[in-house]
Amino acid sequence: MSGLRIEVKALRKAFRQTVSGSEVLAIDRLDFVIEPGEIAAVVGTTGCGKSTLFDVMIGLDAPTDGQLLIGGSEPYADFDGFRGKIATVFQQDRLLPWRSALDNVCLPLELAGVPEAAQRRRAAEWLERLGLAKFMQAYPHELSGGMRQRVAIARAFVLQPAILLADESFGHLDEVTAAELRDTFVALARECGSTAVLITHQLEEAISVGDRVLVFAKPASVLADIRVSDWPRAGHAELRAAIQSTLQGNCLDPRLEPASVLASAFAPGGALHAGA
Amino acid sequence: MLPDSAGAGNGVQRGRRFPREAIVSLLVLAALWELASRNAAIIGIPPIALPGFARIAQSLAGLTVIDVAVTVARVVGALVLSFLLAVACAVAMYRSVAVERYGYPLVRLLMAVPVISWILFAVLWFRQVEFRIGFVLVAVCGPLFLVDMLASMKGVSKELRDMMRSFRPTAAQFFGKLMLPAILPSVLTSWKINLSLAIRVVTIAELVGAVTGIGHQLSVAQELFSVADVFAWTLILVAVLFLLEAVLNRIEAHVLRWRP
Repeated sequence: MSGLRIEVKALRKAFRQTVSGSEVLAIDRLDFVIEPGEIAAVVGTTGCGKSTLFDVMIGLDAPTDGQLLIGGSEPYADFDGFRGKIATVFQQDRLLPWRSALDNVCLPLELAGVPEAAQRRRAAEWLERLGLAKFMQAYPHELSGGMRQRVAIARAFVLQPAILLADESFGHLDEVTAAELRDTFVALARECGSTAVLITHQLEEAISVGDRVLVFAKPASVLADIRVSDWPRAGHAELRAAIQSTLQGNCLDPRLEPASVLASAFAPGGALHAGA
Repeated sequence: MLPDSAGAGNGVQRGRRFPREAIVSLLVLAALWELASRNAAIIGIPPIALPGFARIAQSLAGLTVIDVAVTVARVVGALVLSFLLAVACAVAMYRSVAVERYGYPLVRLLMAVPVISWILFAVLWFRQVEFRIGFVLVAVCGPLFLVDMLASMKGVSKELRDMMRSFRPTAAQFFGKLMLPAILPSVLTSWKINLSLAIRVVTIAELVGAVTGIGHQLSVAQELFSVADVFAWTLILVAVLFLLEAVLNRIEAHVLRWRP
């Protein structure tokens, strides 16, 4: 299934606190567009509303104001219309402990009404691709954290969804496993042509996987929308520093101003340099 | 810190090995009973009150299997009915806050009614014996199943519920593939508790309002002042309970084989 366009227009999400009754603003006038097949990384400080955006994108939560459209429809309002189109990789693997790895990967296919033989064949193929051929019948408690997250990735990709969402999915793993899984995730997302959104608090991860990096203010609004290809590879350290400075000050670092980015792109080694 | 032998994991291992200590305890108890029976006159108890094992064996040989079957059928039938009603009510309460707010106080009210009151209501309200006993068992066990199940459903983690919802299941898929498997361990525990309760309740109900079943036979034994018969029927009741628990344990071992 090819990717769908994600369009966020003046999105606002507020929560009412149970005890005090006061309103807490999690997302404040969020605007951005992610084109079909693009991979966008969303970075922001803890509590800036990234996970709230994740819930609104999945359709688990309704926006207070504004719109979030995926392929022209609202995932919350048209909840069932998105069956089989959105898949998620959560922070923790969230595997069902009573199901084997194979049965966990079959779950989305079962829910989508795919015939049983096809379910098992497709689930087995994805587990094999993710290097878990020998562990198909293992229960989640018999697998390591990295292996469990692989099963969760297989569960997301088995639907070959139009939209892939990952919420800090690799942050709890060791660096080597996280990098390996991140690369796998991106490669598979590109192969499937899915539009992918990765929510992360790790800047290295955001820069290395995303076509774009959306830097969120607190409460969530877009402080910077960075096209990573505009930055020369040699400039990634500076990009990282600029994003960090933006996050710390909760305002746009001058290095991320469009004019600066353009200059950076035309600089030697930049994407638009005459010799590039 | 607890000694190693107090750990839950060891409890499982203890269950698997030969129950030497349990057998020794039972043999000691049986020997003391037999000793007391043989010396009843010396210790000032009427011999009829402490029958020896030979007399009890005679009573056991004369027991009617049909009464055992009737009691077991009543217990199992009523538990299945209670469980199904409880599942339906728990699902309705889980899905609707309004249903829970109106329904839960009634459930608490039902739970507060003493068993003997239910038996008297059943005798006064209904003429049909099976209906009386079924009513009492469902009134006692149903609310327990319901409360346990509702609490377990609410205990299913939000993470798993959100994961499941992200794949857009139908209501039936959500309950069938997530909620029911997730609450299965506590459902089985609830079955064990209700089984033991139902055996006791059915005995009292049969004692008061039936002409068949172990409870009725206990009533007959009491009228005949036959302690041996009471002992024999009690042994059968305990054996039936252990047997049904063993069946539940086998089911539990099979359906929860995924647990570490």
